[in-house]
Amino acid sequence: MYSEPKKRISRKALNVWRISGVIKSVIGWSITALAIFLLHIFDGPFWISIILIALGVIFPCLHIFVFPVLKWRRWRYDVREEELELQEGIFIVSRTLVPMVRVQHVDTVQGPILRKYNLASVVVHTAATAHEIPALKETEAEELRFYISKLARVAEEDV
Amino acid sequence: MSKPKRLHPIVSILHTGKRIRNLLIPLLALNFSGAKDGKEQLWISLAGSFIAIIITFFTGILSWLRFTYRFENDELRIEYGVFVRKKRYIPFDRIQSIDLSEGVLQRLFGLVKVQIETAGGGGGEEAEAVLSAITKEEARVIQEFVAAAKDPEINTTEAVQEKEEIYKITTNQLMLLSLTSGGVGVVISAVFALLSQLDDFIPYKRLFGSGIEKWALHNLILICIFVFIGFFIAWIIALVMTTMKYADFSVVKTEKDIVISRGLLEKRQITIPLNRIQAIRISENNIRQILGYGTVYVESAGGSAANQEGANVTLLPIVKMQQVRSILEPYLPEYHFTYSFTPVPKRALLRYIIRSSFVVVPIVIVALIFLKVWGLLSLLILAVVIGNAVLKYKAAGWSLDHQQLSLRFRTVNRITVLMKKNRIQSLEMRESHFQRKRELGTIEANVKSGVSGAGGTVIDIERSDLLKIYDWYSRKKKNRDTADC
Repeated sequence: MYSEPKKRISRKALNVWRISGVIKSVIGWSITALAIFLLHIFDGPFWISIILIALGVIFPCLHIFVFPVLKWRRWRYDVREEELELQEGIFIVSRTLVPMVRVQHVDTVQGPILRKYNLASVVVHTAATAHEIPALKETEAEELRFYISKLARVAEEDV
Repeated sequence: MSKPKRLHPIVSILHTGKRIRNLLIPLLALNFSGAKDGKEQLWISLAGSFIAIIITFFTGILSWLRFTYRFENDELRIEYGVFVRKKRYIPFDRIQSIDLSEGVLQRLFGLVKVQIETAGGGGGEEAEAVLSAITKEEARVIQEFVAAAKDPEINTTEAVQEKEEIYKITTNQLMLLSLTSGGVGVVISAVFALLSQLDDFIPYKRLFGSGIEKWALHNLILICIFVFIGFFIAWIIALVMTTMKYADFSVVKTEKDIVISRGLLEKRQITIPLNRIQAIRISENNIRQILGYGTVYVESAGGSAANQEGANVTLLPIVKMQQVRSILEPYLPEYHFTYSFTPVPKRALLRYIIRSSFVVVPIVIVALIFLKVWGLLSLLILAVVIGNAVLKYKAAGWSLDHQQLSLRFRTVNRITVLMKKNRIQSLEMRESHFQRKRELGTIEANVKSGVSGAGGTVIDIERSDLLKIYDWYSRKKKNRDTADC
């Protein structure tokens, strides 16, 4: 695509996404295990169990090893004086423009995994939509939040 | 004007009635189960219900007593609450729309219900401020106050401004509107919802005996006829309902507002400031599109979960598409009602067909394998799906007009959205792997409308067009168009 945004998110995002991938997998496995157990009790067809086991291997592989890398590589953003530009997506690449004058408020959000790595997400809200920049360095996220809210305040335009 | 005022006393009855209605089904259930357990139980549950109703009645009166409103410092100040006292101050110049409606009860006493919407509030159940019943005179005063606050130069005494009628529905149009509306579905689903509610109370088994299945098998045709009659009645009800809702529909433009009034039994009047219009949406359902008619909506930032109409205001309920421009352009000069849309390229057609049929094809294959000859019927579904995909492809298009982006696409109805650049909250372009190979992409523009957003999405437009729209919206380039940004 033509002239991508420049800035990247923190490399530590990879670890964060991998950990959340592991958590998702554990939840997935426990559900799969329960399903297989039930199938066994009620004499369900064997091939369903095989499919479930196969999914139980493929799903974690994707979510722990493949997707985080692809996602990180794609994630770019730019904060310009008049607008915010985001690029994201693994299979579907999307690019979003958010003019500063349309920004209503900015949040920084930090879950337990992000906190462990001293990261934070910035969420930009317009009147109609919300846009997240995930996993920035804590300080960077703070700065960005201040910066965006400052820029957004300059141009006073109403809904 | 700063003396606190109460709503009309009728409100206490109105609210109490509403609460008792909500209580009715649980109370009935309680008493039914009480009746089953014997006489004593019944008396206890009856007494309980009685107390509950008495309490509701008194809190109803109390909440009416506590609800006051007044005008102060260009704000509408409302104080209310029985146990928790609440105050809500709304600056006049933040008001997105004013909605006056007269239900049957209000009409009996010559009152109106006023709903005031602001852009905030979001997830709220009701409008930001609801004055359930005040005199018409009072409502007029509020409207004048709001108008005056928005433009200090107009003083309230000369509030009788020039009014221009934009649109008035004719009887023929009203008939056409009712006949082509999709209200039938609503009525049918309401009937089904009611039946499923009653399911617990009506002892079908006892009524029909245990031989009901046998009886049904023998009288299949009879049942079919009954169902058909049911549908017909639902359609008639829907017809009458739409007619009552949109009777006397008229749109008037005052200096700064658009005032829409409609309704036969429940009269309704909605005021939208012209500079608060977020976007214009034109919707054509299949039948109306064939006849060349459509419906024009105005997207407003007001509106709440309970009052969708605050966000999605019908401007012209039914109008010949060819006439939309000539009717609206004099009054909404900012908007260009274009008829020329750049279509999506031919190579997108295949993608449109594949996208809508890939769910259906496996079903069809399974049906063909297991149901043999009857499975052929599933091909009919496939044909419908593909036909719909072609229609979607035909509808898709876009148009860029100086400061305006117009998108056209089909969900069920064909929808055209006109958005001004400075009302678009965010713009997104997307490319999947397959789209990239064919140099296609998806464009999505969001505007504020009510609680959430609205906007438009057009799939598979030419890559170069995609970039053109993206570029148009981007404020990165300083040397272009900056003068009128």
